[in-house]
Amino acid sequence: MHRVSRPSVSGILINAAALVLVLSYALPYIYLLMTSIKPAADVQQIPPSFFPAVISFENFREVLQSSTLPKAFINSLTVAMLTTALSLMVAVPAAYVATQYRRRITTFFLLFALVTRMVPSVSLGVPLFQLLKSIGLLDTIPGLVLAHTSAAVPLALLLMSAFFEGVPKELEEAARMDGCTRFQAFRKIILPIITGGIAVTALFTFITSWNEFLYALLLTSESTKTAPIVIAEYNSVYGLAWGAMTAAAVLYSLPVIIVTLALQKQIVGGLTFGAVKG
Amino acid sequence: MSDEDRFVLCMLAPAVAILGLLVAYPVGLLIFDSFFKVETITPHIREWVGLQNYIDALTSKRVAESALRTLQYSVFALFFEFTFGFCAALLFSAMVGQSRWHRTIFALPLMVPPIVAGLLWRFLLVGNIGILNYGLVQLGLISDPNEIAWLSSEDIVIYSVSFADIWLTTSFVALVSYAGLTNIPKDLLEAARIDGANALKRFWHVTLPLMRPVIAVVVIVRGVDAAKTFDLIWIQTQGGPRHASEVFSMNIYQRMVRFGDLGEASASGTLFLLVMMVLAGIAYWKIWRPAHA
Amino acid sequence: MNRLLSASALALVFMAASARAETINVLVEGGGEMLQKAVAEKFTAETGIEVKFTVVPYQGVFDKFSAEIASGSSAFDVVTIDVVWNAKFAKHVEDLSALFTDAVRADLPPALLADAKVGDKLIGMPTWANAEIVFYRKDLFDKPEEKEAFQAKYGSPLAPPKTWQQWRDIAKFFTRDTDSDGKVDFWGTDTIGTFSEEWMAHVLQAGSPGVILDKDGKVIIDNEAHKKALEFYIAPHCTDHSVPENVNEIGWGEAQNLFYQGKTAMMKFWAHAYKMTPEDSKVSGNVGVAPMLAGDAGIAAIPGPWYNVVPSTSQHKEAAKKFIAFAIANNALGIEAPLGLAATNSAYSSYASKPGYEHFTPLLETLGAPATQGRPINEKYQEIVDEAVLPAVQQALTCKADVGEVLTEAKETIEDILD
Repeated sequence: MHRVSRPSVSGILINAAALVLVLSYALPYIYLLMTSIKPAADVQQIPPSFFPAVISFENFREVLQSSTLPKAFINSLTVAMLTTALSLMVAVPAAYVATQYRRRITTFFLLFALVTRMVPSVSLGVPLFQLLKSIGLLDTIPGLVLAHTSAAVPLALLLMSAFFEGVPKELEEAARMDGCTRFQAFRKIILPIITGGIAVTALFTFITSWNEFLYALLLTSESTKTAPIVIAEYNSVYGLAWGAMTAAAVLYSLPVIIVTLALQKQIVGGLTFGAVKG
Repeated sequence: MSDEDRFVLCMLAPAVAILGLLVAYPVGLLIFDSFFKVETITPHIREWVGLQNYIDALTSKRVAESALRTLQYSVFALFFEFTFGFCAALLFSAMVGQSRWHRTIFALPLMVPPIVAGLLWRFLLVGNIGILNYGLVQLGLISDPNEIAWLSSEDIVIYSVSFADIWLTTSFVALVSYAGLTNIPKDLLEAARIDGANALKRFWHVTLPLMRPVIAVVVIVRGVDAAKTFDLIWIQTQGGPRHASEVFSMNIYQRMVRFGDLGEASASGTLFLLVMMVLAGIAYWKIWRPAHA
Repeated sequence: MNRLLSASALALVFMAASARAETINVLVEGGGEMLQKAVAEKFTAETGIEVKFTVVPYQGVFDKFSAEIASGSSAFDVVTIDVVWNAKFAKHVEDLSALFTDAVRADLPPALLADAKVGDKLIGMPTWANAEIVFYRKDLFDKPEEKEAFQAKYGSPLAPPKTWQQWRDIAKFFTRDTDSDGKVDFWGTDTIGTFSEEWMAHVLQAGSPGVILDKDGKVIIDNEAHKKALEFYIAPHCTDHSVPENVNEIGWGEAQNLFYQGKTAMMKFWAHAYKMTPEDSKVSGNVGVAPMLAGDAGIAAIPGPWYNVVPSTSQHKEAAKKFIAFAIANNALGIEAPLGLAATNSAYSSYASKPGYEHFTPLLETLGAPATQGRPINEKYQEIVDEAVLPAVQQALTCKADVGEVLTEAKETIEDILD
C-alpha cells in the first residue's frame, strides 16, 4: 500500500512544482497577450491592469493592414529555416568528429568556434557588410542566411559537441565491424540516437536567426528585411505604438510555438544504447 | 594522410569554411584595428598608434567600472538562469513524457522579439506605471507602487535590468539540460537503484557526471552571452542612470557605433575576447574535460 | 564565368531600366516615409523619376548609413537624417547650397538654416521640424472653481503658463491626492530624467549664447544660464514635488503617456503629439497648446528637424537634388500625413487656421523665436551628451548634489572628450 501511494504523491508534487515554474515564466507573455487585445487608450493604463476591461482587436487590425509585415514574416521564416538547415548540415558532422575523433586540430577548432561566439557582434557587422557586398549577396536572402549561419554555427557546434560526448565510441566501432563505412556509421547508427540533441540544437539555431536584429538591419533593404526590423519600427522617435507592437509580437511568436511543439516531440526520443555500453 | 584523417577533415571542412570565411576575417580585422587611431565611418584613414588604445582602455575608469558591472550582471543572471533552468529540466524529466506542453510554454519567452521583451520589462518595472510594483503592493510586500525604483535606483538597476535576460533565456538552460537528461541511459540509473542508491545519490554519482559536458556548454554559452548582452539593457535604461547599468559590451557598442571611435572600441573588444577566452578555458577544463578522466 | 555572365546580364537589365526611368533610393525612418510619401508621388508624376523608400527603425538610419559610408559606396541617393547626426555625416554628403534660393531661405526658421550649416557647407535641406511646446488640460484650466482657487492662492488668474514661475505655481497647484488615500495621484506635470533636451531649451530661455558649447567651440556648460536652467529644471521635483518622483525612469514615452492617461495637468512636449492623442483617451478633446515657456531671453526651444542629404557616393545626384528641391517647394504635402509636420513657415501657416491644427501657431512662434537655436553642431555631440550632459542632469535630479559642482564636473569631462 505504502509503496504504491508514494510515487503518486511525489508525482503530484513534481507536477505542481513544474506548473508553478512554468506559469510564473508564462506570466509576462500572458501580460503581453492581454496588452495586445486592449484598446489603444488602455495599453499603457495607469494604474495598470492585467486583464483588458474591453477586448478589442484594433491592434491586430492595424498590424494586419501593414503593407510590409506579411512580407517580412515570410522573409524571416525563409531565412530562419534555411539558416537552421545549413547550420545543422555544417555543424553536426563537425561536432561529431570534434568529440569522437579528438585530436589537437579538433580541440583547436572547438575553441575557435567558441571564440567566434565571444566577438561583440557590432564589430562583425560592417566587415560582413563589405564581404557580402563584394560577392554580390548584399540585400539578398542567401546573403542574410550566410550571415545568420555564421552566428548560429558556433552555437550549434558547441551544443552538438556536448550531446555527442555522451555517445560511446564503441557504437561506431561495432557498426564498422558490421561493414559500415565511417560515414555510414555516422549517418545510420549515430544520428538516429542523437535526434533529441539535434532537435534542441535546431530549435535554438532557428530562434537565433528568427530574433536576429543587427545583421538583418545592415544586410537587407525594403524587399528582404525581416520581421524584427519591421516590429522595431513601431518604436519610432514620434512615439511608441505599444499596442500594435504587442500584437505584432504575438503573431510573430506563433510560428515558433508550432516549430517548438513539433521539435519537442523529438526530444523525448532518448537513448537506448545502454546495451552497447553494458 | 590516413583514411581516418581524411574522414575527419571532410566532416570538418564545411564548418571551417563558413567560420573561416565569415568570422575569421572580421575577428582579424578587429584585432588589426585595435592598433590604429581610426574612425568607424572612414576605415581607410588610419594612423598606427601601437598599444595606445589598450593603454587608454586599461586606464579608463569607465571601462573598469563597466567591466565590474558586467561581472555583477553576468554572475547574477547566470546564477538564476542556471538554477531555475536546471530545476525545470529535472522536473520535466521526472514527469516522463508528459511535459511537452510544459516545455513549450516554458519556451514562450524565447519567441518574443528581444526588442519587445526589453520594452515589456521596462514597462513592467517602471515605477508608478509598471505592473510589478502594483502586484507587490497587492501582495502586501511594499506599501506604495513608487517604493522600489527598479530602473532609476543606482544601487539595484544593474540587477533589475537582468530580469529580462533571466526571463528570456532560462528556457535555453532548461531545454538543453532536458535533452541532456534524456540522453542518460535509463539502465545505468536502474542499476544504481538496484545497488541501493537513493535518489540524491543517483543524481550525484550517475546523473551529474554524465551531464558534465552539457552543463559546461550551457554555462559557457550562457556566460558568454550574458557578458555580451547590451541591447536588452540599452532598451530598458540606455545604461543609465549615470552609467549605473552600463556594461562592458555597451561601452564597446557606444564607442564603435555612436561615437565612431573604431580604434579604441576594437582594443576594448579584443580585451573582452581575451578575458572571455580565459574564463571559457577554465570552464572547459574544469567542468567539461573531467568527464574523460 | 557564371558570375561574370549574371553580372553582365544584371548590368543590361539595369541599363535598360535606367533608360526608361531613373530611380532614386531614399533611406528613411518610419516617420520620414509617411511625411514624404505624398510629395514623392507628386514628384514621380511630374518628372518620371521613381522614388523608392527604404524604411528602417530610428537608430537604423545612422547604423546603415555609417556602414554604407565605411564600405565606400552607397545604394542610397537621399538619406533623411536627424539633426544630431549632421556634423557626423557632413564630410560624406554633397553641398546643397545651390538649393537654398532666397525664397527657400526666407521661408525657413533661422534656427533650421543654422543647423544645416556645417563649416562652409549647407549639408542638408530641412524636411520637417518639431519643437517642444506647452500642452495643458483645457478642461481643468477652464473650470470656474479651479480658477477661483488659483486666483485666491497665487493672486493671478489661472491661464496657460508663459514663464518659469507660472509653470511652477500651476504645477504645484494641480498636484493633489484625488482619492484621499494620503498619496498624491495627480501631478501638475512631469520631469524627464532620461533625456536632456528640455533642460537645454531652458538654458536658451535663460539667455545663454549657446547650449553646452559657444560658437567658437568653447565649453560653457558651467555658465550662469546653464546653472539657472538646471535649478529650474529640478525644482518641480526637488522643491515643489509636483511631478511623479521616479524622474530618472521617465522618458518621452512615459511623459506622454502620463498626460494621455489624465495623470498630469501639463507637459512640455514635441508639438506632433497634439494630433496623436488617442481618440478614446481620457483627455481627448481637452488638450490645449501654448508656445514653449519664456525666460529672460524670451521664448526658446531646441528644434528637432530632419534633413535630406545626398551621399557623396550616390549615382543619381542630380535626380536626388531635384527631388530635394521639389520636396521643400511642396513642403505642405506632408502635413496631411499622420505625424503632420513640415519645415517651412508657409507650409505651417497654410494650415494654422484649420481646425485640428491648433498646435501650429504655438509651434511656429516657438521655432521662430529669436532665442531658439539648435544643439551644438559638433561631431562629438552624441558622446558629449551620453558621457557628460545626461549624467549631470541625472545627478542634479537626485536632489543631493550641488548644481554648480555638477556642471563644473561635466565641463571637465566635455573638455577631455574634445581634446
